[in-house]
Amino acid sequence: MRPKWTRVRTLILLGVAFAMVAAACGGDDEPTATSPETAGIELVSLTARCKANPPTEDGRCNNLLRAVPAANAALEAAGDNRRIDLTIIQDNADWGDYKNEFVLASDAGQAPDIIVSGHEDIGAWATSGIIVDVTDKLGDYAEFDDVIESLWTSTELNGRRWGVPQDAEARPMYYRTDLLAELGWSQAEIDGLSAAVASGDFTMEDMVDTADEAVQAGVVDSGKGWWHRPKNGPDFLYYYYAAGGAITAAGSDALVFDKAAALKVYEFLADATERDVLVRTRLDGDWSNWNTDVAEGKVLFWFGGSWQWADWAKNFVADLGGEDYLFDNVGFSAIPGLAAGTGQAITLTHPLIYMVSKDAADVDLSLTLIAKATTKELNTEYAVASGHLGILKSQETYGPYTSARLLSEVLPLLEFTTFLPNSPFFSPWSEAYFIGITAVESGDLTPAAAVDVVVAQLENELGSNVVIN
Amino acid sequence: MPQDLLEQPPAAEQVAPQVPRRSLYPRIRAALTAYGFMGPVMVLVIGFFLIPGIILALLSFTSLQDANFQDAWEFIGFDNFQRLFSDAFFPKIFRNTIFYVFTTLALFNLGFALVLALVTTHIPRRSGFFFRLMWLLPRLTPSVVYILMWQRIGAPSPFGIYNQIAPEFLGATGGNLIFGSGGSFYFVSPAGAWIFVILVNGFVGASFGMIIFTSALESIPGDLITAAKVDGASTWRIIRDIKLPQIKWPLLFIATYQTLSLLTSFEYILLLTEGGPGLFSTEVWALTAYKRALKSYFGNSQWGFGASWAIVLVLVSLLLAIVYVKLFKFNELIEEPKIENL
Repeated sequence: MRPKWTRVRTLILLGVAFAMVAAACGGDDEPTATSPETAGIELVSLTARCKANPPTEDGRCNNLLRAVPAANAALEAAGDNRRIDLTIIQDNADWGDYKNEFVLASDAGQAPDIIVSGHEDIGAWATSGIIVDVTDKLGDYAEFDDVIESLWTSTELNGRRWGVPQDAEARPMYYRTDLLAELGWSQAEIDGLSAAVASGDFTMEDMVDTADEAVQAGVVDSGKGWWHRPKNGPDFLYYYYAAGGAITAAGSDALVFDKAAALKVYEFLADATERDVLVRTRLDGDWSNWNTDVAEGKVLFWFGGSWQWADWAKNFVADLGGEDYLFDNVGFSAIPGLAAGTGQAITLTHPLIYMVSKDAADVDLSLTLIAKATTKELNTEYAVASGHLGILKSQETYGPYTSARLLSEVLPLLEFTTFLPNSPFFSPWSEAYFIGITAVESGDLTPAAAVDVVVAQLENELGSNVVIN
Repeated sequence: MPQDLLEQPPAAEQVAPQVPRRSLYPRIRAALTAYGFMGPVMVLVIGFFLIPGIILALLSFTSLQDANFQDAWEFIGFDNFQRLFSDAFFPKIFRNTIFYVFTTLALFNLGFALVLALVTTHIPRRSGFFFRLMWLLPRLTPSVVYILMWQRIGAPSPFGIYNQIAPEFLGATGGNLIFGSGGSFYFVSPAGAWIFVILVNGFVGASFGMIIFTSALESIPGDLITAAKVDGASTWRIIRDIKLPQIKWPLLFIATYQTLSLLTSFEYILLLTEGGPGLFSTEVWALTAYKRALKSYFGNSQWGFGASWAIVLVLVSLLLAIVYVKLFKFNELIEEPKIENL
């Protein structure tokens, strides 16, 4: 016969297991914000989906969650008996997977009510009808009057607006001031670099020459004179713009590919790799190693984003002094002009947009919530934490925003900003253009051959939807 | 499942002469029993291969992409296939696929698996079990963790193990494998990436063949080996003239199964190199199909075009399966035992 204590232990274990299963089934892991339910009140469940790099970008969805009380108060004040019950789904999924998830969920009729994504998605999503045209409703919310006018451009397709800007950013050229000093630059020259870039006196070619000197002098390792991001992304379009390329043409939906501009970009990149300023394997897709090297001062120049500043300070150089260390050793400016191209400084802003899906339980409630999250208090908290630019006019004079040094100092870069096109054809255009970049950096093709291959790809992929100039 | 196997008469029919022919009941019962046993598998095959295959084939003739995902499918004939075969990188991706499949198959999924099985059956039983367990670890490890480990091995110095220690032994001033920086050391070339891709897939693939071959080797009657030893045969002669002929069918089965498996596998390549470095250096057909249909940084995935890449792969796999079945005479493998016909 089994001893009594064994049976007791078995019963306890079973009880614990049951309690754990019950807790797992009964609990709801998703964060929700629920108003107290009272008689006559109708609770409407909304879901918001965000991609965010934790913890710096968590405000993307968390701000919606924090706006729920204000939204419900506004509904109550308006005599509306509905109340919002919000669930957020926020992670740092791959962009491609994230976008596919939304498209498939929309096809199944189960898309979240609100999604945050890049403005360029408006091209495909508005065309397919999975997001809602909000043009005529925006005027109902006073909060949206505060949004910086130029940012609305990024939400437009065919003259209609398809969402509300959530953030914006600067994409500067960063440089190590300590390494420039080591190379022999005077303090005045280092301090004046940003202005020299803005005026067009310091170009991308000058940057490669300086980086080459640094490599020759042993200030940085071979291949670490200048780096761009390690995988495809919006940045590469501003090289093309800097070379004088246009991607859209008035009066046509077709995209444009300017062979002469692309050739200049490819020649510039081929030159940088041949001179061992830019390592041939830079497009290895490894952000982790990239961030470590640039944050720790192994690279002289690099093209990055303002949002990375907060990430470096928190996750890469916290032990060296965090943001203070970065300000002491890193400078930033607009992207230098390409002397072979326009010669003008440039940058690019890629706003993320709050969009309302066709499956939204209620478009007005979704917009009410977005409006209450579009305030200087909530957006500034997000902008400061994540290194993104403000999207509201009122932030320009709002203390907590203006006292954020990085945001204040990169704000002038917006003077040089450009956008991606909101076109359903941009994705294949970008993939083909990027093939040329990959090919010249790896040394697989010469710049001229790369242009020919890209043109063939574009014609094969887009047919009459691309015009080759 | 080979077609011949499906066409085999139910086991109960083999005893048909003993059953009175005028009664249909036993024959119906035997047929129902056979279909009853095959039923669950047939449901899986129909649900997870046949129906998706038909949908995929239909999709490959459409212009489906994110921008028209909500519309009715627009059939565009063979446009996607014309686009596919006009792609400047189609020949390169095709060559890569052939190279990847047959190199991994020959070196690891068959070759190394056989070596492992032979070695671990020629050492003490418990040691053999231990080493086989070790070689199963790559298969037991989740793909992402497994690839992270390889990336940490191959990352540039000071992040990667290889590049940190190799210069100490090989005399270089720094080592760079596939993710390296510096550009003039080991394996920065596509060849280096291929070595990694094949090792990564091969280490996983070898364990499957190792298990099958081990069980086949262990089931060879001991008296054959004993008789050979008594006749003075060396270990090599025993392997060559007794063991290998005895495991002919498992070898052919693994060759077939792993060829088809490798043709459609891409997840390790996606995680390790994403088809790079450089211009489609390690891009294989299945990876291209995945990228075109499901992975695009700026959205607007090309579902119809991706499906056309995938359906070509399905057709090639079916063709190869038929070739293997005919070439290797699989019908002999599933022939009724001679003893039953006496």
